[in-house]
Amino acid sequence: MEAEVRPLAKMDFVAPSSLKEVLSLLEKHGNKAKLLAGGTDLIPKMKKRAIMADLVIDLNRISGLSQIEVRNDGLHIGGLTRLAEIKESPLVKEKAPALVQAISLMASPPIRNRATMAGNLGTASPAADTAPPLLVLDASVKLESARGERIIPLSEFFTGPQSTVRRPDEILTEVFLPVQDGSSAFLKLGRRKAFTLSVVSVAAFARIRRGKFEEVRLALGAVAPTPIRGRRVEENLKGKEVNEQNIAQAAEIIKGEIKPIADVRASEEYRREMSLIFTRRVLEQIGGRG
Amino acid sequence: MRVQFKLNGRDIAEEAEPYETLLDFLRERLNVTSVKKGCDEGDCGACTILLNGKPVRSCLLLAVQMREGDEITTVEGLAKQGEVNEIQEAFMEKYGLQCGFCTPGMILTAKALLDVNPQPTVEEIKDQFEGNLCRCTGYAQIIESVQRAAELRAGRR
Amino acid sequence: MELEYLEEVKKLLHSRNYKVVGTDVKRVDSLEKVTGMAKYAADYLMEKVLHVKAVRSPYAHALVKRIDKASALKVPGVEAVITAQDVPGENQIGYLVDDQPIITPKARYIGDIVALVVARDERTAWQGADQLRVEYEELPAIFDPREALNNDIKIHDHSRTATEVKILKGNVEEAFSHCDVIVERVYRTGSQDHAYLEPEAAVAIPTGVRSVNVIGTTQNPFRTRHTVARVLGWKDSDVTVMTPYIGGGFGGKDTYGPLICSLATLAAVKLGRPAMIVYSRYESFAYRFKRGPFEIRYKTGATKDGKVRAIQVDYIVDAGGYATWSVGFTKRAAYHATGVYEIGNVKIEGYAVYTNNLPNAAFNGFGNPQMLFAAESQMDIMAEALNMDPVEFRLKNALVPGSRTGTNQLLDHAVGIKELIQKVADQANWKGKRTQYESEQKGNKRRGIGVGCSWHGCGTTGFKRDWAGASVIVNPDGSVTYSTGIVEIGQGTITSHAMMVAEVLGVPFDRVRVDANNTGTMPDSGETHAQRGTIIGGTAAVDAALKIRKRMNKLAAELWECTEEEVAFENGENYNLKSPAQRIAFQDLAYEMYMRGIPPAEYGFIKARRGYPDPETGQGDPYAAYTFGCTIAEVEVDLETGQLNVLRLIPGVAAGKIIQPAVVKGQVYGCGMLGLGFATTERVLRKDGRMLNPSYTDYLIPTIKDMPEMADLVVVEDEYKYSGFGAKGVGEIAFIATPLAIANALYQALGIRFHEMPLDMEKIYFTLREKKSHGSRG
Repeated sequence: MEAEVRPLAKMDFVAPSSLKEVLSLLEKHGNKAKLLAGGTDLIPKMKKRAIMADLVIDLNRISGLSQIEVRNDGLHIGGLTRLAEIKESPLVKEKAPALVQAISLMASPPIRNRATMAGNLGTASPAADTAPPLLVLDASVKLESARGERIIPLSEFFTGPQSTVRRPDEILTEVFLPVQDGSSAFLKLGRRKAFTLSVVSVAAFARIRRGKFEEVRLALGAVAPTPIRGRRVEENLKGKEVNEQNIAQAAEIIKGEIKPIADVRASEEYRREMSLIFTRRVLEQIGGRG
Repeated sequence: MRVQFKLNGRDIAEEAEPYETLLDFLRERLNVTSVKKGCDEGDCGACTILLNGKPVRSCLLLAVQMREGDEITTVEGLAKQGEVNEIQEAFMEKYGLQCGFCTPGMILTAKALLDVNPQPTVEEIKDQFEGNLCRCTGYAQIIESVQRAAELRAGRR
Repeated sequence: MELEYLEEVKKLLHSRNYKVVGTDVKRVDSLEKVTGMAKYAADYLMEKVLHVKAVRSPYAHALVKRIDKASALKVPGVEAVITAQDVPGENQIGYLVDDQPIITPKARYIGDIVALVVARDERTAWQGADQLRVEYEELPAIFDPREALNNDIKIHDHSRTATEVKILKGNVEEAFSHCDVIVERVYRTGSQDHAYLEPEAAVAIPTGVRSVNVIGTTQNPFRTRHTVARVLGWKDSDVTVMTPYIGGGFGGKDTYGPLICSLATLAAVKLGRPAMIVYSRYESFAYRFKRGPFEIRYKTGATKDGKVRAIQVDYIVDAGGYATWSVGFTKRAAYHATGVYEIGNVKIEGYAVYTNNLPNAAFNGFGNPQMLFAAESQMDIMAEALNMDPVEFRLKNALVPGSRTGTNQLLDHAVGIKELIQKVADQANWKGKRTQYESEQKGNKRRGIGVGCSWHGCGTTGFKRDWAGASVIVNPDGSVTYSTGIVEIGQGTITSHAMMVAEVLGVPFDRVRVDANNTGTMPDSGETHAQRGTIIGGTAAVDAALKIRKRMNKLAAELWECTEEEVAFENGENYNLKSPAQRIAFQDLAYEMYMRGIPPAEYGFIKARRGYPDPETGQGDPYAAYTFGCTIAEVEVDLETGQLNVLRLIPGVAAGKIIQPAVVKGQVYGCGMLGLGFATTERVLRKDGRMLNPSYTDYLIPTIKDMPEMADLVVVEDEYKYSGFGAKGVGEIAFIATPLAIANALYQALGIRFHEMPLDMEKIYFTLREKKSHGSRG
């Protein structure tokens, strides 16, 4: 049920200028501190008291965490890179077109001008639109703290609605997409044509050789407690010929992999049905038939 | 806490509490009432300002986030010496407004678009404005106003 | 309004072409709006203004047993708690029925206001409201209007129904017995939120021991004034209501204006200091009164020659906890239930029933979107049964000059619907597209084209107060000050008034200044609603301007020794038609009036030319004139997802003379989107009286990308004799026709009739799935 927006609660505020300072503050305050990047999710949640913070740490004065780079191993996107910048980046358009498509279909320009990569993943909405493309591209995330750093595959990052493996003293500093041949696509079903939360979202990646799915990955959003990979669909389709029949058959399997709920946007049943439709559609698109 | 930034070219230095949104700060401390509170959670666009040239939701920013080099533009800063600018002129000429509540946000969004894309297509205009809600106009005359503004900027009358 | 104003004006202007009316001028308010200078209610920020927060019942039906004021007063900065006992005057703000306290001792809907907390700033007001301890005795609640009719639960002592309406014309039983085709269906329409960008707000400033100014979001400054005075126990003249710029109304600020202004004033007067209340978006969604849901059983009978002979309609409306405007919209629905057709036998019975839902009130269309959804769906079903094209069928039955309506009102002129339908059909390439979509469509998408016709009487429904005043003052320098009580809510009406005044006086438009936002100085023009702003409000303006212009003509005739009829005037110049060398500038003639003691100002006042239908038979003339609308919609359905995509809208209006073409285009396009939202994405989701989606995140209004292709507006100028320049109203007509056309287009696309609004994507999907499993065409 929707909570009411109210004036923000009293809190302390600090705007450090280096990552080191941030890590030290997180070490000290842990859960009592909240990281403010784009603010497009944090501020409304704080207004609704869904999130409480004694201390807000503004990340917007830190440099060095918003690079988009291609190195030998793959594409590196800094955690504080604005979604708008990612959307316009020629590097991302080339290496991860599904991510660009997802950003184009989510929120709106003013939101994207502030929202960040780390923010969209860190808030861990089951319907986070950047997650399915990143999942099918086998992305991993770097979490840094005063204690050191660790790399987590994105598929292991989400643990539930609004919940991740990120510890209170950690910050997500980078998203990494490994080098790979193939193409990716993203589709979304919403209740209106723009600026709306997904009822169902899907992403797919495939490498097709000699008319067969040499490699295929599928991910869905808004149909489970976290964004998920459709691994049984992938297993079924891998190695098979790219045709309508195989795709339709494989898509059926998705119903057993999802755990949709009913909410103000859609019923459980509808999400289940649409998962199948959109899985099929995105696979057709990636297979060159969409 | 001390907040410093430039507003429509003018230096601002004021005290603010961490819990003040930039929207409330602009309206209540600086009396910049063209920036409107339509929903206070980023869903409507009535609170749009330009921050360093880019449209953002002022209801999702804290006043204390602003720093000395930041430049904020609101519609009050567009008219020069009593003369409205070409976007404001276009919106009047092409009836891109009815109740006017969404209008400051629309005009600033148009400015941000035309500053980087002087001849936008209808699709590009729709992309830019998809997060600005209007309940009165049905959007058609807003699109026409943006197109007219582009014409006026290009010097074609 | 007995004068044939159109004729008067034409005669006075020597039938010349209009110089101002019918052109596109700069709106009187656009400069303020584009520069940010326009101040809306919440922009009146003052130092030390008190903030008011409403404390609301969390229960749909409950008695307030005890309020512990101390619990809130102990919060530093909370200055007062106002409860029902503290209302100094009458605790009553009922709109048409006196059933509604301003602060209630008995909650009748979730959100009903039980107390006000007044504090030094907004944050403190919230804290005070959080702390206030209220004890309730919960009562059983009822949410279904049909159940509420037959239940023991008593929401009000005086009645189960907020209103009832009956129409009886001819003999339906007899007529049905001769019909070759009879169709009876049940239709249901959901609620809809106005969702205007500006939430409700009001600021009240005491100006004396017994006087107060109120600046607030209201569409009816004079009704607001009266309601505020009533609540205070003061005279109307002790209260001054000032209308600021208003960020959208659509009827929402018609019902709610008096309420929000009264809340601010109670606080201000109690404490003797300025007080302000600004609703959050949540409050605006969750607690402001919306469109009423209807359940309509509609039976239509026709003979095989294609003539509709009889209709019988029974319907029930959810009024919610208080009557507010359901009294009006329930009646309007009945008066328009035939649709734009001449039908000889009509039997209608409608009830608005009290429930513990949020009260339902005024919203653009006011009962017509709901009722005409049923009527226009029926027309398409009948057309199919009779094997007739839907447009042909409508043309065969359409009202024409000389027709009588379902209430037996004679429409002797200004009935442009038939011409309108034809023109819209031509503009839409109806025949071509209809045939194209009739043939087998392949793939997963289906297209259809459909038509919807609407009509909407101009003037307040069922209300004896349908008057309007206007004031025109010609200043000694030749400028003109115009004042009206009609409110500018974005619809551009006061600009139309100024244009008509400029035309009648013969001055350039920019000479007229509109000064109209203070009940102390502006004339009472009634409410700004029901499409009456131009036709009734504007006619008062013309009434005043005509009187002054005739005096000026008399003066000029004296100066030139000619007759009054020989005096011509335009663009600020006056001259003798017979001898044009005799001329005088308007400002000089004006000054001469002053010098000679001839009154340079005039007060126009008219009462709408209509009657009040008989309570038993509904027969009578409920409205002065009717505006007509016709919209054709093209849609595409995704068979796999149920998504309904409106591709194109072709709107048309027959609204008499169009005073401001570009503004009317904006109204029609804007209304089209309101209608599109009503038909597709807008759902007020409720459970046990609580709204589940009170935010723009989940109450989805169309974005710029949801805008379909809009065809050029089709206009038929079927001038109405009794209004200034022959204008009728246009603010609601295009809304109403849009969902009707979309529903009919959907039928052509799928061959499946949906009897509910909105045409929800899940509903379409599951219906298609069911049909598929039963092997029908899908």
